[in-house]
Amino acid sequence: MVKGKATYEVPIGPIHPALKEPFMVNFKLEGEKIVDADPHPGMNHRGIEFMGMHRNPLKVIPLAERTCGICSIVHQHMYTTALEHAVDIVPTERSRYIRTIMMELERIHSHVLWAGVAAHEIGFDTHMHFTWKIREKVMDLLEAISGNRVNYSMWTFGGVRRDIEEDMHPQIKETLDYYKDLYDKLEDIFLGDPSIRHRTRDVGILTKKKALELCGVGPTVRGSGVKKDVRIDQPYSAYPDLELDYVIPSRYGYENKGDVFSKTLVRLKEIIQSIDLIEQCVKKMPEGEITSEPNKAALLNKLKTASGEGIGRLEAPRGEAMHYVRLTEDNEDVDCWKIRASTYNNLATYAPMFMGEQIADIPIIAACIDPCIGCMDRAEIVDIETGVKEEYTKDELHELSVQKTKDLLEGIDR
Amino acid sequence: MNRKELPLNLDELEEYLTEELGDDIKEFRTEEIEKGLSKKYMKLIWMRVIKDSFRDAVKAIADIQTPHLSVASGSDKGDFVELIYHFMVNYGFAEQETAINLKVHLPKDDLAIPTITDIVPGAITTEREKQEFLGIDVKDIPDDRRMWLDENYPEDKYPWRWDEDGMEDMSRHVHEKEQTFEEPVSERVKKEEKDGE
Repeated sequence: MVKGKATYEVPIGPIHPALKEPFMVNFKLEGEKIVDADPHPGMNHRGIEFMGMHRNPLKVIPLAERTCGICSIVHQHMYTTALEHAVDIVPTERSRYIRTIMMELERIHSHVLWAGVAAHEIGFDTHMHFTWKIREKVMDLLEAISGNRVNYSMWTFGGVRRDIEEDMHPQIKETLDYYKDLYDKLEDIFLGDPSIRHRTRDVGILTKKKALELCGVGPTVRGSGVKKDVRIDQPYSAYPDLELDYVIPSRYGYENKGDVFSKTLVRLKEIIQSIDLIEQCVKKMPEGEITSEPNKAALLNKLKTASGEGIGRLEAPRGEAMHYVRLTEDNEDVDCWKIRASTYNNLATYAPMFMGEQIADIPIIAACIDPCIGCMDRAEIVDIETGVKEEYTKDELHELSVQKTKDLLEGIDR
Repeated sequence: MNRKELPLNLDELEEYLTEELGDDIKEFRTEEIEKGLSKKYMKLIWMRVIKDSFRDAVKAIADIQTPHLSVASGSDKGDFVELIYHFMVNYGFAEQETAINLKVHLPKDDLAIPTITDIVPGAITTEREKQEFLGIDVKDIPDDRRMWLDENYPEDKYPWRWDEDGMEDMSRHVHEKEQTFEEPVSERVKKEEKDGE
């Protein structure tokens, strides 16, 4: 145990023993109750924007894709659309539909993955293995379409690099049917199970007012009833042609409470929404070319002297994200590039969500924003009354969380 | 502002912003980009205000609707640093959301800007980022600790600056140079070394 100031930084190297990425939150406690939470990101800042500003616009596409492993489509889409906006490249209609299908498939895979993580955090590893098993199906489809399981390399300026042809439709249909059949089971596990309900109801509440003030994004704020969804507010790609509505709990007869349960509900319902959107896309997809800029050498030559600025926004699985790109005549490389991922905005929502909760609830609340920069690797606890500091490792916290579920189970009439 | 009924269209927004800020607006342009087969439009406003009325501009935007601040992007443009605050208004209304990209130029000899966290509390992350990546002094920021960069990274070097305060000399021909900062040594290694002695 260390005595000292209220907060300090724990440097964690690039190599990390845990499953997820390095990230830390400092907590202040009064006994068992959390009174303050202070997130510390940047344990492994890679300087991707700096690298991008030293490369030509075409070379940045694969770099942008590698910003994140789970939402690699998100970042290549935003970068490509931001640059298309800056230099007035119009993507072909067919490619917009292909982009939308890919983005929605990624949403399914991300939400299913998140459900597994959430179940694991509260001690239901059977559910984790179940969800991660069913996630393989959509990964297989993504691989069949793009040739890759994780970094898909699909996007290019003016469209996409691979087509979704007629002969792929049966596999798409089969995958979607697979999730439709399993969906009731998923909902039964995560919304119906009394012990999961006990661990998620009224935990980690984010009020609508706080959600708006702190500029939170995605399912994190939609669980609080905030109507923010770029797919509807400022539609891109094929979304203007599709029918969709804001997924908020009150639409399904639940209260817009903003607790972990509401966020779970929103994510699960979005899986069904994604399935519907993909079906609409497959049905409406127009014929035509998949890219409007097939000649890459000519395009690169044009981009060398092009100038302009643009923004690319989308609704990532974790919420709104955006890129800003600027090209100038006297700079062959990308002149300015700013990446803003969803978790960047959701970081600020941690403090109100943790307030007043118990140590054993830390893992599930930390997971409920679906943090992209990883999980809580090490939580540092300061007891306000004694000023004594303790450090909890992820495993110890996980133990506490599992124990809480066990204690609850004994008290519940199943 | 007499609260008008949301959503405001581009003309109404232009009228409102020019009325509120007047001559303090130095550049103003609106943009509509066609999206989809059903011909819907993505709406954007790009505007630059003088530095002194930056907070007034943010207040004017905040009066429309609790603003959604996506992020503030910034870049070194030689004599000055350009910051762009990407605000979103009209969210919650299908196809009506409008991006207001608020630009402000900060001269290199006075890289300071007032905080907006009292108007938009969610701006704290991006303000902290601008401090360490561009060397901007955000006045009255409630929390000025370093957020993203390593603690061993020099205090007076800023990754997104292209002048002598940038990190160009740190990132090129690294092999020819002496190390300018110490390698981080973890507490565990220090302890092991001490025990070894």
